[in-house]
Amino acid sequence: MIVFDNVWFSYGDREVLKGISFTANFDERIAVLGESGGGKTTILKLILGLISPDKGKIIIDGVDITQLNEEELIPIRRKFSIVFQEGALFDSLPVKENVAFFMRELLKLPDEEIYRRVRELLRRVGVEDAEELMPEELSGGMHRRVAIARALAVGKTKMFLYDEPTAGLDPINSERIMTLIKDLADKENIGFMIITHVVYVAWQLCNRFIFLKEGQIVFDGNKDELIKSNISAVKDFIKELFFRI
Amino acid sequence: MNAGNQIKKTLADLQDFYLLSINSILKLFKRPLYFDDIIEQMEYAGSASVFIVSLVCLFVGMALSLQLSAELSGLGLKMYTGKIVGIAVIREIGPLVTALVFIGRVGAGQTAEIGSMILGHQIDTLRVYGIDPIKKVVIPRVIASVVMLPCLTIIGDLVCLIGGYYIAVFVSNQSGSFYWSSIIEELTFQNVFSGTIKPFIFGYLISCISCFYGLTTRGGAKGLRTSTTKAVVISIITVIATDFILTRILFYALGFNV
Ligand SMILES: Nc1ncnc2c1ncn2[C@@H]1O[C@H](COP(=O)(O)OP(=O)(O)OP(=O)(O)O)[C@@H](O)[C@H]1O
Ligand SMILES: [Mg+2]
Repeated sequence: MIVFDNVWFSYGDREVLKGISFTANFDERIAVLGESGGGKTTILKLILGLISPDKGKIIIDGVDITQLNEEELIPIRRKFSIVFQEGALFDSLPVKENVAFFMRELLKLPDEEIYRRVRELLRRVGVEDAEELMPEELSGGMHRRVAIARALAVGKTKMFLYDEPTAGLDPINSERIMTLIKDLADKENIGFMIITHVVYVAWQLCNRFIFLKEGQIVFDGNKDELIKSNISAVKDFIKELFFRI
Repeated sequence: MNAGNQIKKTLADLQDFYLLSINSILKLFKRPLYFDDIIEQMEYAGSASVFIVSLVCLFVGMALSLQLSAELSGLGLKMYTGKIVGIAVIREIGPLVTALVFIGRVGAGQTAEIGSMILGHQIDTLRVYGIDPIKKVVIPRVIASVVMLPCLTIIGDLVCLIGGYYIAVFVSNQSGSFYWSSIIEELTFQNVFSGTIKPFIFGYLISCISCFYGLTTRGGAKGLRTSTTKAVVISIITVIATDFILTRILFYALGFNV
């Protein structure tokens, strides 16, 4: 379970989050929505302990992570599979080494085993032909898939975290990534948190919606509540959604 | 930003820089050490820089020798060309020129690479999986620089002297064997020591500065430009200032008369 309790965060003088509170179970399917620069990625980084809040508590599975050091954070971070904005593949390594990276560095598996798993993972996300390519040779959609494969490589995940998984993709590739996200979650009943500003993606995949505006949560609820909501940001969202459908 | 904040920020940055520099040494003794990355960085910093260092040093050596022969022959002291070229190159010009080329080629590259790893969340990705970016990214670059800059400096010195030889012998019609023998005379412990200790320190400083600015990159392509520029400028200033201070200390320690 993830608990944010009145979390404040600023970069220098710039206040990004001003008192964020929410509770999320690992099996939920949550969309975090909000305008660009609104602090969505910041929330993700806070969950992983990559940055720590100025004020407030962040509790993951009962542990307050705000006071932990890098080493103590490792088991917390291993609970999640994260796909960063743009995929964050290591651009000096070919696809198969990217996917193999953490199996090699952390799990210290033998080469054969690693490459067997790499092939399987790449097949699972549908880019088995890309093994030998460098990240710069991949299309946007393939890049994202490889990033998902790498996130899966670490094994036992309690929750997926996706930062803008469909940003910059054409509708067909978006659709494919969405299907992949859904399948991965369905198969083992693992929840996810998607950060996005694409209304349609959120609506298709998630059943809980968190809206950020000016560093605060202005809405947190399910589809029914979303439709009935009077909040202007949410209304804009729904308008855009109907426009799309 | 007002002046007070600016000073506060500068002090905070300095503190972070010291922490990084010290950590890059302390963490050297903690496992794991990433040998593959060290080798890769050495190749990039070292063997791939040999050509450009040689090219620059060749011209610097020729120019130096040309200037000196012209000036000294007016005084009838042409035979001292080798001696002066030797001292200048070994103690001062070789280490300095090589370090400046190294800043432009390797330091800037390190900042740009680490900066884009920051912007692309690659550093975050390492941290998420419990890999310390200082060990994986910074230490290999620091080691590569500390090992390779001295090697490059020795090559640079040699090429400088060869450039000087070419001018002295083929343009200024001096004796080649006398040129070399007067240089060999200058290969005293003091001269060689003061010329070879510098690149170790320069290498360490350049890579720490470059990695620091890489790691603190913020704000897209423009931020990357700023951090690369800063890394190069600060490295140049630091190297030149350190060169002077080191020379002063070494003169004192090695008992040179000024
Ligand atoms: N490392 C940093 N240093 C300083 N400011 C930062 C840093 N990272 C982000 N910011 C600023 O913090 C604010 C929130 O950033 P964040 O990345 O969380 O936004 P976001 O909601 O994910 O936006 P986007 O949709 O564009 O990805 C932005 O205004 C950004 O400029
Ligand atoms: Mg973001």
